Amino acid sequence: MYITGIGRTKFGVLSKSLIELAYEAMYNAINDGPIDITDIDAIYVSNFLGGPLNGQLHLNSAIASLLPDMNIPIIRIETACASSSVALNQAIQSLSQFSNVMVVGVEKMTDSKYMNPTDAIAMAADNILDYQNGLIFPASYALIAQQYMLKYGIGHDVLEQVSYLNHKNSNLNPLAHFSYKDVSMEMIRQSPIVASPINLFDCSPISDGAAAAIISKDRCSDRDIEILSSHVSTDSISISQRKDLTSFNATKTAVKKAYAEAGINPDDLDIVEVHDCFTISELIALEDLGLCEPGRSCDMIENGDISIDGRIPVNTDGGLKANGHPIGATGLAQIFEVVTQLRGEAGKRQISDHEVGLAQNIGGIGGTAGITIMRG
Amino acid sequence: MHYHCKECEKSWSYPLENCIFCGNELTVSDPSDYKVIGCTEVNVPSIASESVPYYVYLLEDENSNRLIQKSSRKYEMGDLFELNDISFSQLKIGIIGSGLLGSQLAEYVLQHGYLTILKTRSDENRSQASNKIKKHISKKLSDKEVEKYLTNLEVTTDYSDLYDCDIVIEAVSEDIRIKKEVLAQLSSVCKEDAIIATNTSSISIDLLADVSLRPDRFIGMHFFNPVQKMDLVEVIIGKQTSIETQDKIVQFSMDLNKKPVIVKNCPGFVVNRYLLPQINEAVKMLEEGVATKEDIDSAIKLGLNHPMGPFELADLIGLDVCLSILEVMSEGFNDDKFIPSKLLIEKVNEGNLGFKTGEGFHKY
Repeated sequence: MYITGIGRTKFGVLSKSLIELAYEAMYNAINDGPIDITDIDAIYVSNFLGGPLNGQLHLNSAIASLLPDMNIPIIRIETACASSSVALNQAIQSLSQFSNVMVVGVEKMTDSKYMNPTDAIAMAADNILDYQNGLIFPASYALIAQQYMLKYGIGHDVLEQVSYLNHKNSNLNPLAHFSYKDVSMEMIRQSPIVASPINLFDCSPISDGAAAAIISKDRCSDRDIEILSSHVSTDSISISQRKDLTSFNATKTAVKKAYAEAGINPDDLDIVEVHDCFTISELIALEDLGLCEPGRSCDMIENGDISIDGRIPVNTDGGLKANGHPIGATGLAQIFEVVTQLRGEAGKRQISDHEVGLAQNIGGIGGTAGITIMRG
Repeated sequence: MHYHCKECEKSWSYPLENCIFCGNELTVSDPSDYKVIGCTEVNVPSIASESVPYYVYLLEDENSNRLIQKSSRKYEMGDLFELNDISFSQLKIGIIGSGLLGSQLAEYVLQHGYLTILKTRSDENRSQASNKIKKHISKKLSDKEVEKYLTNLEVTTDYSDLYDCDIVIEAVSEDIRIKKEVLAQLSSVCKEDAIIATNTSSISIDLLADVSLRPDRFIGMHFFNPVQKMDLVEVIIGKQTSIETQDKIVQFSMDLNKKPVIVKNCPGFVVNRYLLPQINEAVKMLEEGVATKEDIDSAIKLGLNHPMGPFELADLIGLDVCLSILEVMSEGFNDDKFIPSKLLIEKVNEGNLGFKTGEGFHKY
């Protein structure tokens, strides 16, 4: 299985509608590789909040409106913030029937007429157990950050460094939400508290955007990237149903299977994209993926391991923090970055060794995890 | 709007740039004549369409492009449909005054597809009003659309530019002397069949009608602040207002997506005649020490489900405006219940006019 085309939009506060954003990413993916739109046998659409924020469901049919007279199977997948890695996983599964499948992820989060994004995003947690008791999304991650900080004795300064690194990387990515923004440690430290101990610069932004990829059974060009494995795992939805908040079982379970199927171990990875919806989740991801021992991710940051020129570059596009987090497109944006790096087409942010890459995309507070491993 | 690929003979209803099948640039179809090929009268309200009944039409042009449009107007199958949002209406609307209501009204009328001309007093007001309208409409529209709307807006300081307006709405300050001056100017520049409407909250239409030199084509249109949100227009019929003028203004109000109510000329019309005695009564209760102003506001909001309490509302309207309306009504009806309370008069004399001066009954 190969990724034979990728495309995305800029992320940020955009004027285009949900459907126009999806089209732009699909158009770019088609024009990236040798596959024509008429070669596409099926499409998986990833989107989280089209219903609550845009008043738009039945997205598979909405995508069909963009492809007049094609009448191919189109299916919408929703697994909160993990929607696009799960859509990709389903697309890969469908290659038993099809030759070329497109995955498109899209989210239009700003300028909603219907609902405040804070309430909409909270639908990723348990409505009765969590939301009704005031646990909005940043509050969930605040409790996780607190548990982690207590368990391993680290301070907020480590989280500040995660934010700083992601913002620096986004300055090298012209499509990133904050590509233009010069962020200093001072700005990060002085940003307002959202839910203690999490401040504004610990949070990924509310973004609009779309990303798409074409998955093919056969290799089509020398720019194709091979998919070595793709696995999805799940866990309970409310953090009140978890024993340990400093690690996500869904990530650990999925990545174990993904490494085994790909026949690699963490040391073989040259580039990793992790789901840093909040800075704390980047620390947890590094540990859950086996890149370091539990509680030691702070050393990786301290030693410069995850920088673009480090031992194992992480979130070279700026991550969710600074590349942006248009939820339904996020997992595919990670794939876009890994593919771009593995092809050696990342320009100013190109890493030196680029053979094997991994993307970790999670939904809610680790209730879903999608892991994809790719080889250039 | 429809977007076509000539190469692939495919079309889209979204503003897309290139064809995903062949990469060619899409061409935008010029809005053409749409015929009604299907219609339904809807009687069940939804959040997007609260007022019922309304009509929904399935339209088709000669290139088989189809479109759904909502309208309050009744069309028959096969009729040509007037697309307000796409082709600008041929009616030219003049708005006099770029104050709070005038500038909102110009923006609202423009957004509803009318050629709009706004008359301001000074060059400074002219550029301010024009920038404000541009900023507001830019929020929701693409640059292309904004450009298209702005070509239909003219802001001027010269009355003679209003010579070809079909309807002129005067929205200058609530002062009979100023209104008379404006109407005298309009009567000399406006074309013979133009309708002149005055947006007044209390001044008698009949006192102004003669100055307009066309009393049969003179009428009141009382809009409410904020114009974008408040659906009501009181259409005030003077003694000499013709039925044709009334019909045209009722239709115009509906085309603006407002609900017109027809009111015979009388002090305060409907809304203010009902509201101001209530506000006056609240002030009297405060004078008597029946309850604090905060508690009176709370009582009215929570007990009657009003969105604002009487003191909050009075401050928003402006205490000077409240006082002047009460004075007009107490004179007009010769009825004690309209006599303004002492406390209201005191506040106005002190210059505490409400929200606009930073203090009225409440501080802001």
